[in-house]
Amino acid sequence: MPVSIQFRQALGKLVLPALILVACGVILLGKADRPLIEKLRMQTADLLAPAYGLVAWPQAKLRWLSGNLQDIRNLEAENIRLRAENVSLRHWYDVAAALADENAALKSNLHWIPDNAPAFVTGRVVRDTSGLYARAVLLAVNPDTAVHKGGIALDGSGLVGRVTEVGKRSVRVLLITDSSSRLPVTLESSHAAAIMAGDNTPLPRVIFYPQDNVPIEGERVVTNGEIESLPAGLPVGHVHYLRPGQPVVVPAAALDHIDILRIFDYEDSVSPPDAPGRVPLPNVGRTMSLPSQFQSHPDQGLHG
Amino acid sequence: MKTFTPPPIRPGIHPRSGLGYRIDHGMRSSVPCLFVFFVALVLSAPLNLPGQVELMPAVIMATVFLWSVFVPVLMPSIAVFMLGIWVDILSFGPAGVMLLMMLIVHGIALSGRYTLARVNFFVLWFVFGVVMVGVTALQWVLCSALALHIVEFLPFVFETVLAFGSFPVLYTGFVWTYRFVVNNADPS
Repeated sequence: MPVSIQFRQALGKLVLPALILVACGVILLGKADRPLIEKLRMQTADLLAPAYGLVAWPQAKLRWLSGNLQDIRNLEAENIRLRAENVSLRHWYDVAAALADENAALKSNLHWIPDNAPAFVTGRVVRDTSGLYARAVLLAVNPDTAVHKGGIALDGSGLVGRVTEVGKRSVRVLLITDSSSRLPVTLESSHAAAIMAGDNTPLPRVIFYPQDNVPIEGERVVTNGEIESLPAGLPVGHVHYLRPGQPVVVPAAALDHIDILRIFDYEDSVSPPDAPGRVPLPNVGRTMSLPSQFQSHPDQGLHG
Repeated sequence: MKTFTPPPIRPGIHPRSGLGYRIDHGMRSSVPCLFVFFVALVLSAPLNLPGQVELMPAVIMATVFLWSVFVPVLMPSIAVFMLGIWVDILSFGPAGVMLLMMLIVHGIALSGRYTLARVNFFVLWFVFGVVMVGVTALQWVLCSALALHIVEFLPFVFETVLAFGSFPVLYTGFVWTYRFVVNNADPS
């Protein structure tokens, strides 16, 4: 269809404002229908996961190689240190073995119900999707493994985060340092409950701790069994004071270079009984009996 | 009706518009957009570069700005829109914010291009810096508004500084690409 030059120019001038309007629409859509955007992103990430794996593999090899070279250089000092540590560990091994025996004996005496062993899958971190706004990593997993939203990610030494999105071949793990991460924790020495709140810095803050029982510098922080999918007692890190009155958690997991993660499924490990703490009410019509001296009208109960 | 056909000026200079020529021409013309496409792809890969997250918007904004000022034919609005969607899908930030920023930078460059294309390089650099400050401030405001709390602004300052600092390098790259790739000049 032939159109006049003026019309075409006018149309051309309208394109950019229209596109900017559409962009605003996309922002609103992203806010209104978050699952749609996340699905799109996860599908793209799924497609790109093998490529990301290819990029990550030589890096891991290189790191391994340079680590090896450094190890060779420090062999002598390392050996001396390890010998000293070994002596101390032997001692602790004996203590632990004795305690384990004692624990087993006590548990057998108490008819202890053993915990279920949780199921887990292990995956390699293929991409750090941390940006200006979030702290998260993408994990490549086998298509047929069952990873659920809410799975708990641990590395060798501590809690890393929780699974927030699940794709076919990749899952996204929101780190404990993300600004939207809030986890109930227990401080081990002071026995206080607190909330660990991420703020996009490497050290999540400790908030809502009791004011008469402040966190102690260096005490261990473990998870607290308050939420269903997260069992109590997983190691998180230790308390450190950046400045007086500002306690933070130094994570035990190496969050700056996460290589391999295990995703645990604690979903149905402990299911609470129905309506915990519910006190059955007395039947309607039955009244509480008071001692006779308090009863003004013997035929009328407390509630009339 | 007899239509008017202009007489061929300097016959023999015109390249033959065969299939090979058209493919070649299309490849050369799509270099700017492909560059943005691959920058987004590569900088979202796990390279563990320091400042990688902040580098992506910096490089993309400078590229969009330069091509929109000097050769808007090769960086049309609709392509900027598509690239914005692509960048948004690859980065896990609030949806649409990068897209909006790219369109705004493109719009500013387009509307001021008759002035900007003639000014000194340093003036252009300064103008780009001012645009980046404005756009990054907008990004920060949008991110804070969409996250419903004030996000830390230092990464955004870093992003602006990085964009400002990488501009001369990208300008050199742009001039080289324009001369030797898009226009196929003789490097000698």
